[in-house]
Formats: sequence, C-alpha cells, structure tokens
Amino acid sequence: MRLRTLGSVLALGVGLTAGAAVAEYPERPINMIIPYGAGGATDISARTIAEPLGTAAGRPLIMANVTGAGGATGSVAVQNAKPDGYTMLFARVGSHSVNPAMKATLPYTLDDFRFVTVYEINPVACAVRPDSGIDSMDDLVAKVAEGGVSYSSSGVGSLLHLAGAMVLKEFGVEDPLNEATHIPQQGGGAAATAVLNGTATFICTNTSALANFVSNDQLKALMVTTETPVVGFDAPTANDLGKPRLNALVGWTGIAGPAGLPDDVSAKWGEWINSAAQDAEFNETMQSMGSVIDVMSPEEAVDFINNQYSVFRALVDELGMRVEG
Amino acid sequence: MSLMDSLAAGFALVGNIEAFFMLFVGLVVGVVAGAIPGLSATMAVALTLPFTFAMTPINAILLLLGVYKGGIFGGSIPAILIKTPGTPASSATILDGHPMAERGEAGRALGMALYASCTADAVSNLALILFAGWLASFALNFGPPEFFALILFSLTIIAGVSGESLLRGALSALAGLLLATVGLDLVYGTNRFTFGSPNMMGGLNFIAVLIGLFAIPEIIAMAWNPVAHLGKTRALGKSRCSWADYAKSFKSIIRGSMIGVFLGSIPGIGAAPAAFLSYSEARRTSKNQANFGKGEIEGVAASEAGNNGVAGATLIPLLALGVPGDVITAIIIGAFMVHGLQPGPMMFVLNVDIIYGLFIGLIVSSVFLLFVGSLAIRGFRFVADVPKRILMPGVLVLCIYGVFAVNNNIFDVGVMFAMGWVGYIMMRNRIPAAPFLIAFILGPLLEDNFRQAMLMSGSDPIILFRGPITWFFWALTLLTVFAITRSTLRKKVPLS
Repeated sequence: MRLRTLGSVLALGVGLTAGAAVAEYPERPINMIIPYGAGGATDISARTIAEPLGTAAGRPLIMANVTGAGGATGSVAVQNAKPDGYTMLFARVGSHSVNPAMKATLPYTLDDFRFVTVYEINPVACAVRPDSGIDSMDDLVAKVAEGGVSYSSSGVGSLLHLAGAMVLKEFGVEDPLNEATHIPQQGGGAAATAVLNGTATFICTNTSALANFVSNDQLKALMVTTETPVVGFDAPTANDLGKPRLNALVGWTGIAGPAGLPDDVSAKWGEWINSAAQDAEFNETMQSMGSVIDVMSPEEAVDFINNQYSVFRALVDELGMRVEG
Repeated sequence: MSLMDSLAAGFALVGNIEAFFMLFVGLVVGVVAGAIPGLSATMAVALTLPFTFAMTPINAILLLLGVYKGGIFGGSIPAILIKTPGTPASSATILDGHPMAERGEAGRALGMALYASCTADAVSNLALILFAGWLASFALNFGPPEFFALILFSLTIIAGVSGESLLRGALSALAGLLLATVGLDLVYGTNRFTFGSPNMMGGLNFIAVLIGLFAIPEIIAMAWNPVAHLGKTRALGKSRCSWADYAKSFKSIIRGSMIGVFLGSIPGIGAAPAAFLSYSEARRTSKNQANFGKGEIEGVAASEAGNNGVAGATLIPLLALGVPGDVITAIIIGAFMVHGLQPGPMMFVLNVDIIYGLFIGLIVSSVFLLFVGSLAIRGFRFVADVPKRILMPGVLVLCIYGVFAVNNNIFDVGVMFAMGWVGYIMMRNRIPAAPFLIAFILGPLLEDNFRQAMLMSGSDPIILFRGPITWFFWALTLLTVFAITRSTLRKKVPLS
C-alpha cells in the first residue's frame, strides 16, 4: 500500500506536468473507491476488473477501500468529490439500492450519483439446513405459519435483510416482519454460519456466498431468484415457482461517479468497460466466484437500478421497514 | 485412500521448490507488513490475494497463509519496540513487551515473542491436523447464547490488566464500552452517537483507537518533556532470550496456545481476545504476579502464544465447515473459490491431496517462521538503539500514515489524535489503557450476541442458560468474580 501510495503521488505529478494543456480525459490516474472491506465480494470483483479496465483507460486505476456503515462512508466520499471523472465508486446493491430504499437518514440518494455501468449480476438463493425438515418454499411458508421461523442477514439495510422479507411476502406471508424474526449478524460469513448452527432458520443471499455450503450438503437451496437455473444449485427458479417479480432480487456491482459527471466521461467509461469485460482472466475469475457478467450501458444501468430501487422501495413502504432514526 | 496415500499425494503437491518458496515469501511479506503499524495482517493478505490468481491452488494458499502467520508475529515487533501494535492481535504484547524494551531488554522480549509464536504456531497446526473435525463440530455449538457467556467471562480479564487499582481499571473499561457503542445499531439499523456525521456511522476505527491510546500518549509525553528519558539505558545491549527464560515460560506458552486454538476454532472471535485471555491466565497463575505489566517476560510469551495459537486454528472452521473464522480467513476462502475449490467436509474427500499438501506446508511454516523471524529481529532491533528524541517524530509519522492507510480516511487520523489526548490524560492519572481496549473489542460482541439471543428466544432470558457450554462459562465467570472480590477485600489489590 505504501508503495502504491508513493507510486500514485509520483504518477500524479507526472500526469499534471505532462497533460496540463491537453484536456483529453483521462490525463492522470483515476481514484477508485471501494466502499467495502478488503477481500469481500465487492473488493475482489473491483480488483479483478481494475486491471483490464486500467489497460482500456490507458491510465492506472488507484484502488482504495473506504469502509464503514454498510458502504455509506465510501459512497459519501464520492458523492462529495469533484465530478471530473477522477474519483469514481464501485457501487453495490447494498449501498445503492437497498440502503437508499430502507434508510431515511442515509446522507445520499440515488440522484447524487451518475452510473456509468453495471457489469456484474449475482443471483440470489434461499437456503435452509438439510435436517430442518423444510424441502420447498411451501414448507417454509407453512413453517412460518406455525411460528418460530427466523432468517439471518449481514445487518439492517443489507440485501439479505430485504431478501428474507421480500421472498416471504411474495410467497403469501402477509406480515413477514412479525411472523418471522430477522436476526442480523456482523457480515455475510456470520449470516451463513447462523443458519448452519441453527441460530436462524433460513437465509437468502448471493449464490456465491452459499455455493460451498450447498455443494457440501451443509445447506439445502430452496430456490434461486433468477429466470434461469444457477449451476450447482439444484433448486427451482423464481419463474418455475410462478414468482417472476423476484427476478428483481439480485446482487450487482457497478461503477458510478458524482452526479455532475460530464457526458463525455460517462461515454468513455462505457467504451472501457465493454473492452475490459472481454478479458479472459476477468471472466474466468468472476465466474468461479458465481457471478454473471452482464455489461450494461449507462442508460441500461440507470434503468436497471431505478427499477430495482422502486421494487424495493414499494416493498419497504408496504411493510413499514423504513429505518427513520 | 489410506493415510499414507494421502500423505504421498500431499507431498507430491508441495514437494517442489516453488511451493516452499511461496510459503517463505509469504512469511517475509507478512512479517514486514505486520511490523509496519497500520498495515495489519488483514490488509497484507488482502493485497496479496490478486497476485495468487495465476498460481496453482496450493502455492496460492500457502503464500496467503505465510502472509497471515508472518503478519501476526510481525505485529509484535513494533508493539515491543515503539509501543505501537502492528496488528490488533499484538496489543496484549505491549503490556509487558514495551516495559522490557524500556529497560533495555528489547532483544530478550523480541526473542521470547518469536519462540512463543513459533511454539504456539506448531501447537495450533497440530491441533488443526489432529482435531479439525472434532473441534469444528464443537465450534458449531456456539450460538449467540454461548458467545454471550464466553464473552462475559472474557470481560473478567479486565481485572487482570487493571494494574494497581481495580477501580481505575473499571473506569477505563466503562469508557471503552461507551465509545464502542458509536455507530449503527445492529438490530434496528439506527444511528447511535454519530451526531449526523457519515464518518461516525461505521463506528470509531479500531486501529485508530488502538494507536491513539498506546502510541500517541508516549509522543505527547515526549514533546512535553523531551529530556525526561535521558540517562536511562534503552539500548538493546546483549540481552537475549535464554533457554531458561523459555523453560520458565513454557507452561504459559502451552496454555496460551491451547486458549488460542480453542478461541480460534470458534468463528467470530479473533486473535486479540485470545491474546488477552492467555495473558490474564498467565498472570493469574504466575508466581511473579506483581511483576506483570512492568516487563515480565512470561507476559510477552503468553500474549504471543495466544495470538499465534489462533492462526492455525482459524483454518479449522474454514477447512472442516467452509466457515470463515475471521476477516483473514474470509479472504482466504475467496482464494479457494477463485481456484474452484470449495472448503468444507467434501474437500477432505474430493481434494485430499490439497488438504494434506496444506498440512505439510503448515508444519514447515512454523520452522520457516522461526528463521524469518530471527532475521527480522536482527534487522529491526536496531530501532531500539535509535535515540528516543529522533525515534519519536518518526513514530508519529508512521502512526499517521498507518491510520490513514487502514481506510484511506483522514477522519480516522483525527480519531487517533483525539484518542491520543484521552490516552495521555489517562496516563497522567494512572488509569490503565488495556481495560479500555478490551472493553472496546468485547463490548460490541457482548451486546450483539445478547441481542441476537433475545431475538432467538423472543426476549426470554432463559436461553442464556440453554446448555452445558453456557453453564460452564457462567460458572467460570462466577468463580472469577468471587476470586477477584475476595482478593480485593483482602487488599491484595487496593480498590483505588
């Protein structure tokens, strides 16, 4: 990190002196903020695409993890940055659709950012312990009616939190907040462990976080929220079960800048991400982590996120899940 | 496949120069990164991860494990030399390691840290190899109620690190518990004591608080009175850790290793509490109890054994269950998955060659650590010979850089300085900093697990006594509180 910082300072100096007159973006390295911790799903995804993306941009991308408050700390750093395209954010489903939908006190809204792409989709699956006697979503719903069902998440305002409530609601549970108990944990790993050791009944999270438990028969997948089946998950899709509305319930990673980002910068990013996504190593790594590479143009990305946000927001308002304090 | 076949397959996998070279490189990177304050073992592992994508799986995992183990030991070097823990896990090492360095025994303290680390590392690896399955199924019995009881017991450590006055220790711990409540509420997601600042929403950064509390007061004191230390010997001299030192501390080292293995195999606790628990157990049973906190070599041995005992054991839930025990193992799970491996029970069937290859690599790593560590000590110990007036400004720069680098956030640097003044005031009033830190680490765990348990049971407190594990820790807690009360009443530990 020390070397990198030093390198960036040097590169910054070189960039400033060399490209002062020519205003061709980018004329210096670009700061990329990762709002989640090193080694997490977002971090690995971001660092994997950084290399081909830097090659496409012709300038290095300087990666910095700014963590805290479910991605809010890093997001605020970019929200307040100069909209010149030299400070960009790896935005994630939690920080940019679940959190804005759920938290009234969040210091930013979706309007504070301009999305240049969404490049990765993470399917969501719901799982229980194999010895729980629950073999299908219908069993789970029946169990909810009996009472005592709980689900784990990586915290209030995480995708997992919303997913548990949304799935139950779709399958006909009238008031999932009171009929099932939400047991938040510190982080996604702890959330999966909570189901393993019986603290919670079920979990709905990204398939990548469940893949090894499912393949080891430690957890049993009940459904996946995508239209098409997910490799390694022997479970019906949301569409098989007649709940296509759940298709909106997927994780994603995208890139955004502050709201005032100029059009030409946004267009550049659209080109870069298209060529970066062709990179073989990137594809291989992401697929082994269970992601689906799906590069969206800036317009598609904005539509996708707004659609997901409005679905989530409607659910949050209907169930009264909004966090006000 | 028989054991011999598995072993042979494992040897075939690691039986090349490259695998051992990776392990060695990992250890060197880890020790150096660990020795730089603020560049914790976690960050070192995370930054190494992208380099491993192109390697064979076994080399990749060995490299990462090397960084991890090296980082945990490396953290003790600045803890002893400049009172700044390189990683949170080595904060307990400060308590006795730094006073030893002040006394001119830095070489002896560093040597003991290394030998204790290597011994604990070996014990931990053996535990992983021999008892992985058993310990993992035991660890799965730990739900929120069990955690609550365990952490409640761990809070009794505070009495052991309070020094001369229990009352001051308790005051310090209360302040730590209070500060730990800053941030988002786990269950409701509401802001607590954030005063509307997005920077506070994530809570106060642990490394910033840690460095602020321990290193900055020294620097302030130095600036206040720059010549106070003149005339005291601080040079390394010929001090070395002798065989007699090691033999004397051996019991504490083994006990610390066991504590580390036990806490490491339970997901979600981490190395810092293990180090403190090991330290307080060593103090409780030592003949030199009064000397703890003033530069007792057994204290260094116990804390280093505790945190390194965790390093091998965190692989138990990882390999046996596919569950990450802490942030570092979560990163290592990512590395497994990038290479198409899925840790968990099936891995012992499908990839038994990799499992045994890892075991062999791990055993070798303890020996490598001894070698790399003694080289590092030779390199770093000259820091102790640098005059304090020249050293301290350098330390300050290092602290600022390190705290900034953790999260690339200047706010954290402010937290560090604020905590530095708090630490200085505490120092002037003889209020010990260690209880503050322990409470800061354990407070959120205690609260979260209590509230999770209450959610599980629908607010019925009976769940906190739901099984033998909880009974065991409740009994330990009661016994310890009783013993502390008795010794306090006998004025062995004056109240104020």
